[in-house]
Amino acid sequence: MNKNIFRNVALVTAVFMLALSTMLVVNYFQVRKATPLKTEVMETLKQLNESNGDNEALQAQIRQLDLLSRKAYFTQESHLKTGVYILVGMAAVLVLCLRYYYKESKKLPSKELDAIDEWMNKSKSRNYMTWGSIAAVAGALLFAFLSSPALRDTIEKAVEEGEELMADANAADDGDVAVLQSDTTAIAEADTTTVSEGEDDGLPIPKITSNAFRGNNASGVSGASGIATTWDLKSGTNILWKKPIPKHGYNSPVINGRNVFITGADASARELYCYDVYTGELKWTVKADNIPGSPSTMPKVNADTGLAGSTVATNGKQVCAIFATGDVIGVDMEGKRLWGKNIGLPDNHYGFASSLLMYGNELIIQYLNNSKAQLIALNATNGNQLWAKSTKDKIAWSSPVIGTVGGKAAIITTSNPAVAAYNPSNGTELWRVECLTGEVGASPVVNNGVVYAASEYSKCVAIDGATGEVKWEASDYLPECSSPAATKNLLFVATSYGMVCAYNTETGELVKEHDLSDAFYSSPVIVEGKVYLFSNSGKAYIFSAGDFSLLHSFNTGEKTFATPAFTDGMMVVRTDNSIYCVKKN
Amino acid sequence: MKKIFVFLTLVLNQLYAGAVARFPKPDFTSGYQYPDIQHPVPYEQFWNWMDVILMVAMMSVVAWATHKKQSRKAIFGVSVFSVLYFGFYRNGCVCSIGAVQNVVLALADSSYHLPLYVLLIFLLPILFTFLFGRVFCAGVCPLGALQELVNVKHFRINKAVTSALSFIPWIYLAFAILYAATRSQFIICRLDPFIGIFRLGGDIGLITFGVILLIMSIFVGRPFCQFLCPYGAILSVFGSVSVKKMEVTQKGCIDCKLCHHSCPVDALRPPFANQVKEDRAKGVKRLLLYFILLPLLTLAGALFVGSNSEALSRAHKDVHLYDLIQLQEANPEMDPILEVTAFNEMGRSMEELEAQVQEVQHQFRIYGYLAGALIGFVLGFKLIRLSVKRTRKVYEIDHATCVACGKCFDYCPQNLKKKQ
Repeated sequence: MNKNIFRNVALVTAVFMLALSTMLVVNYFQVRKATPLKTEVMETLKQLNESNGDNEALQAQIRQLDLLSRKAYFTQESHLKTGVYILVGMAAVLVLCLRYYYKESKKLPSKELDAIDEWMNKSKSRNYMTWGSIAAVAGALLFAFLSSPALRDTIEKAVEEGEELMADANAADDGDVAVLQSDTTAIAEADTTTVSEGEDDGLPIPKITSNAFRGNNASGVSGASGIATTWDLKSGTNILWKKPIPKHGYNSPVINGRNVFITGADASARELYCYDVYTGELKWTVKADNIPGSPSTMPKVNADTGLAGSTVATNGKQVCAIFATGDVIGVDMEGKRLWGKNIGLPDNHYGFASSLLMYGNELIIQYLNNSKAQLIALNATNGNQLWAKSTKDKIAWSSPVIGTVGGKAAIITTSNPAVAAYNPSNGTELWRVECLTGEVGASPVVNNGVVYAASEYSKCVAIDGATGEVKWEASDYLPECSSPAATKNLLFVATSYGMVCAYNTETGELVKEHDLSDAFYSSPVIVEGKVYLFSNSGKAYIFSAGDFSLLHSFNTGEKTFATPAFTDGMMVVRTDNSIYCVKKN
Repeated sequence: MKKIFVFLTLVLNQLYAGAVARFPKPDFTSGYQYPDIQHPVPYEQFWNWMDVILMVAMMSVVAWATHKKQSRKAIFGVSVFSVLYFGFYRNGCVCSIGAVQNVVLALADSSYHLPLYVLLIFLLPILFTFLFGRVFCAGVCPLGALQELVNVKHFRINKAVTSALSFIPWIYLAFAILYAATRSQFIICRLDPFIGIFRLGGDIGLITFGVILLIMSIFVGRPFCQFLCPYGAILSVFGSVSVKKMEVTQKGCIDCKLCHHSCPVDALRPPFANQVKEDRAKGVKRLLLYFILLPLLTLAGALFVGSNSEALSRAHKDVHLYDLIQLQEANPEMDPILEVTAFNEMGRSMEELEAQVQEVQHQFRIYGYLAGALIGFVLGFKLIRLSVKRTRKVYEIDHATCVACGKCFDYCPQNLKKKQ
């Protein structure tokens, strides 16, 4: 047979192979990038379905479209596979044709392709190997040097120094905004958290935030000023507004900008409310519903814990809420629900009550229950889990706080049996002191690098936050639900049997005590050198933070279990069934 | 082999994972019952032993064809069968090349169970090579066979270059040993360029690399075998000392050069009278120098790789995880890293991980010294071999390089004469 036939067939086959390969490569990347279910039509239909829960015709339409999309995708993938088979077949034809075409090459070649001087080849080869090895070693050394931690650290340090210089320059321009903590009275917070924007009605956006239970970072301290020390709900003296709360809850108000957030829940719904801090207007309500995994029946909870015992947390961009069902939602400042997920029904005989906390974009959840004990961090933007740290702790109702210990931020938790510190970036345990017993409901507090924790039927402990070393222990008066607050010198504790006291933070010695014959679930908050505290019966007590002398006390007339939140000149208080704002008239 | 299979399955699952994520479960309850997850049928023992039996049978056929018949036809048939069976049917995963890693791991870690058939798949080609030359490479290895089948015209590369490049398989082998012994990765399996072709799918990068090698194979004999195959490096040692040496013809060489031009791996050494103009004393001095350098190069290689073992250890999953945790910790604002999330959810402590990382780095230091010593030794040994002068009167086969493909048989006029 004429060998040119094989050459021509090989040529044609090669051209076809080239064309087919190009098409297959293009098809491959199309299939690879394809997200058939993420079409605009599908997304629109899904949104419609979310807003019209039981529209079966719409759901049938979505199913049909879903099926078609899947079929189209897999058909395309099948074509790709068929194309590969054809390509392999053509490759076989090409090789066969080429083999036949070159079959006559058994004759002696017309010229020597490679001058055979073996010694010269060996000499060259020695050189190639020697220089090649030297080049490889040099390349490896260079690579090792460039990727060495020392060099990386040097570069990072240089970058950090540059950023610090830039920051210093900016600070010099803007003025120093840092607020230092004084040793006794003027305890304010250096509030650099994001503040959400407010309405355009001429009223200023409050700068001081209270982003979580007991203020920012759950510190028990607020930088607010101009807070009234007396008010009267009946006459309206120093009362800016008072509003009913649609659904019951024991959680405390949280303030960011003009927004005041609280939650309420009953068997029918779990809701997040946003009020305007100036007017008390209920700006929006977001329901925690349609969450996959959410229990259809409500868990059994104690009446004094309820389904909405946990306080929300915000970072000025998102506000997140959790309920006793394990449902967690993330909502933006305009009331648009961003995400919702169920982290598991808490196995909790009183009801889940730990409050949320935000650290940047992290939502921290202390999930300590009978069957599972974890510290969880979710992405506040989308609810994705960032990390989860399983712990050996027993069930607890306390809430996490963030404090600066050893020069770094740390999450501090209290539980039975441990007070523990965790790295907020990844949940790594920094230290753990097993010192508490029983049912722990009081949260810790951090001041001046020292962690204070106390729980009824257990003890009050001061721990060096840098090392985890116990500084002192005391057991004179211990809290049940109320969490302590601290200045540099004094630690304030309110009990559920009427005693409130102050410990010396250096020695643990009892400095002062008041027998108020009242129960305290609400926690003390230090503002403008004063300690604000509410009893369960609704009596307000204002002490001096310097010597813990009682400055004011009066009955507000409404039972109060929640801890108040403070902002510029205003205090928001949640009572048993209403919420009100105190502001000097 | 089971480990290799599991490993490759995991690698492919990673690729498949994208497709799974592409189709999440519907957002609303449809009443559809999802079937239980279907697991693939376990790798059947029958086929494992069938592979071993067929491998022995095929190597025997090649040994008979090369030593007794001096015919390429049978070798060609074995090559076709190997590509179809070991390649496309068994998905290229009966692999003596990859089995090197299993054997190394079994030697390094007594807790690792090495199946008998894997050991045989590793040892039998070595045994046959020691007895008959590299009959496994001839056509039993599906990788070599595939390259052989597509080779239509051989353009020879300069021998000086090919000699230098033949050092690469040893480096590859040293690192494969290092990573296998430390339970880091089976890099030979992971970087197998032909596995995607045999499976008609897989990592696009590796498939592209495989296709490039195959296109090269059309005009250059077996580029993978010559310049990359780590198992070929081991077989070359046994091939050079094989008991029964292969010959191009039994009727005496007539110095026609045809076999030399036919050899795809340039394993025919031409007649070479000692025409070297170099002073003999200089040559002897060089040889002595390389003999002195041999232990020094071995030591230097050991120190070089050993001292860089920490960087190399990043290929280990625990060290990699530790690095990721450090990265996430340093950049809390970045999106969560899946591995870090999994680590946190598992409840493992950082102290535990740090201890594990230190253990891995210790292993990397030890095996790094060994791997580096191997590289240094081979470099020194090759330099010695390249400094030795030989005189030949006729064409001779370099049994270390020869892959027993039998192409030279058909080209040899003496053999043709015999057949006529």
